[in-house]
Amino acid sequence: MIHKYVERRQVQEVGGPIQLSSIFRAGGHSYALLTDTAANKTILSEVPARLGKEFELLLKGGQAPPGAPIDLDPGSKVEGYGLFTFRYGPVTYGVPEAGGFKLVTYGERIIKVIPQVNFKKRLVENKVIGWKPEDALLLVERSAGNFSASYSTCFVTAVEEALNLDVPSQAKWTRAVAIELERIYNHLYVFGRLAEAASQNVATAQINALRERVLRLNGKYFGHRYLFGFNTIGGVRLDISKEDGREILDSIRTLIREFSDLVEYFLSSRIFLDRLQGTARLPKQDALNLGAVGPCARGSGVEWDDRLTYPIEPYGDIYINIETDNGEDTMARTMVRIREIQSSVVVLRELLDKMPHDGPRLEPSSEYSPISSNDPADFSFCRIESPSGDLIHVVQLDEQGRIANLQVRPASLVNWIPFAKSLENNVFTDFQFAFESFGLSYADSDR
Amino acid sequence: MPKIWVLRGIKKGILTNEFPRKKPTAEEIPGRAVPPVATTNSDWVSGEKVCPTGAIQSAPERRIDMGKCIYCQRCAGSGFDFDVSNKGRVKALQANVNDNNAAEVAKRMRIFKRSFHILMIDVGSCNACNLEVLNLSNPYYDLTRFGIFFTNSPKHADALIVVGALNRAMVDVLKRTYESMPEPKLVISAGACAISGGIFRGTESFVSPIQDVLPVDVVIPGCPPTPIQILEGLLLAVGKIDKEAVLH
Repeated sequence: MIHKYVERRQVQEVGGPIQLSSIFRAGGHSYALLTDTAANKTILSEVPARLGKEFELLLKGGQAPPGAPIDLDPGSKVEGYGLFTFRYGPVTYGVPEAGGFKLVTYGERIIKVIPQVNFKKRLVENKVIGWKPEDALLLVERSAGNFSASYSTCFVTAVEEALNLDVPSQAKWTRAVAIELERIYNHLYVFGRLAEAASQNVATAQINALRERVLRLNGKYFGHRYLFGFNTIGGVRLDISKEDGREILDSIRTLIREFSDLVEYFLSSRIFLDRLQGTARLPKQDALNLGAVGPCARGSGVEWDDRLTYPIEPYGDIYINIETDNGEDTMARTMVRIREIQSSVVVLRELLDKMPHDGPRLEPSSEYSPISSNDPADFSFCRIESPSGDLIHVVQLDEQGRIANLQVRPASLVNWIPFAKSLENNVFTDFQFAFESFGLSYADSDR
Repeated sequence: MPKIWVLRGIKKGILTNEFPRKKPTAEEIPGRAVPPVATTNSDWVSGEKVCPTGAIQSAPERRIDMGKCIYCQRCAGSGFDFDVSNKGRVKALQANVNDNNAAEVAKRMRIFKRSFHILMIDVGSCNACNLEVLNLSNPYYDLTRFGIFFTNSPKHADALIVVGALNRAMVDVLKRTYESMPEPKLVISAGACAISGGIFRGTESFVSPIQDVLPVDVVIPGCPPTPIQILEGLLLAVGKIDKEAVLH
């Protein structure tokens, strides 16, 4: 049942281009999912003997019980005269979510950052055990609202693989369209927050207006501003016709043209650029060692995009360019996002032009039965490039086709430690820029 | 050529909608904001069966609790007239003032008519409600034209907008935030999760609906509520529109 793009072999040591992405239990065994960033491959292996200390910390963060916040403290203790630990969050506008930080500061300078997570852990994975996949989908797509299309597509694809359903291509292409729209509005959100942090008020208003237009587009063609509820097991609920496709594309094209015009304004504003350049550097070696994913890894020159390294349909049939930048700082990450917005329009054009029209979904049947298998440790998984990076869902079904095991590895969870490391030795006023450029979401990491 | 932001801003013209003078268009509220209605008894029974949050109740009396509805549209298949097209007329936005202490609330609300500072607190949401509340400051909705402003500190806040299903780790934080706000103060709970727990009711970390912890004055249903719905709730809270006007 394991996807054809996955290599099964034993890896002894994690390091260099081989990164550990996730560890999960299935059928009594522990497995490790690794990524070879040099060969662009997903590797499934037994758990390697040597794991990074940071990864163990992340495992702790991911598996912590709900109800008590925990510190993602990477160890090294700092003490000294004049050090002050500043508590930031969980009620603040700088982070409009329930989550916080402990900032160890020396005057204006930040010596160390300890992200505090688990303020809103809902433990969706435990809750859905024994549920029918259609019911579990409601909970899964509401675990991180702004990455809802990625979450639901990831879950649904894994379940469909376990059930061995032959889903019409149109459904898969429609899902890809939704994910691109989601990427555009999330990147615009990040960009808007950066402009707001630099007090560029006219600019913030204009970027936010663009984002509102994408949200309305979602509402018009997908029935929900945040793309909830368009996915079902076996297809999608809606039928994007050729005319709809043309209209979506036209709206996005005008929108991106206006956005590119705005970007030109931004890039000629020294005040804005000064805040981004050289802020929160994440060297490529650190990004690899700490396992950063998504636009922050690509901003440090790591060429890794799940649309190419784990190309489920339709990503194998369309042209996708990995946008990277070697700047390693906030500016580089912002440029990656800008270029991803601009190249999304190319992806959308191909998706909407070439979309096959073979019906949006399979006829819903009341009882799904998983394919018979002799191996109790059989599982299926899916990787999706969500707006802030690599999202992994591992799904196991029981004989009645109900969820027996669900494990989610969100993108934000692994990016906390790279973020904390990058902020060391920056000044306090750079915090907002660093935080927004990483695109971290507490709802995502505390799913 | 120098890039002048202000000129660019003027060139764009006015984007802001004319709510509440004009009814919101279908584009501003996707058609799903219509509360589902069914006629026959068997429809109600089957609707109750498919509803994942128990918002539909067929016995002893037929009732739809919009505070529990997460707009999953499952009941649409069982006879409920859930308008999923975008052409549907917006009938009710369902922002309600708590009826228990209506007179006292109305008195408190009059104070905030000209200046109203709100603080959003997330107690375990999925981030969609947070983004919709933040969306109120974009040019399409422009909160400040009503004299409503976001603030960053509970000490400056007149009202607390609570979003999300109350998590165990956030109970104390929520209470302390509320206590540090100066009198008089309002509490607005936005979204199905805050009102009833929504789909997260029954997860390990969920404590209770917000109204069991704090005195809630205005509730805004939705999953997530659209910015127009939140705006309507806020205007209701400051007494700029009255309860009857809400139901178009």
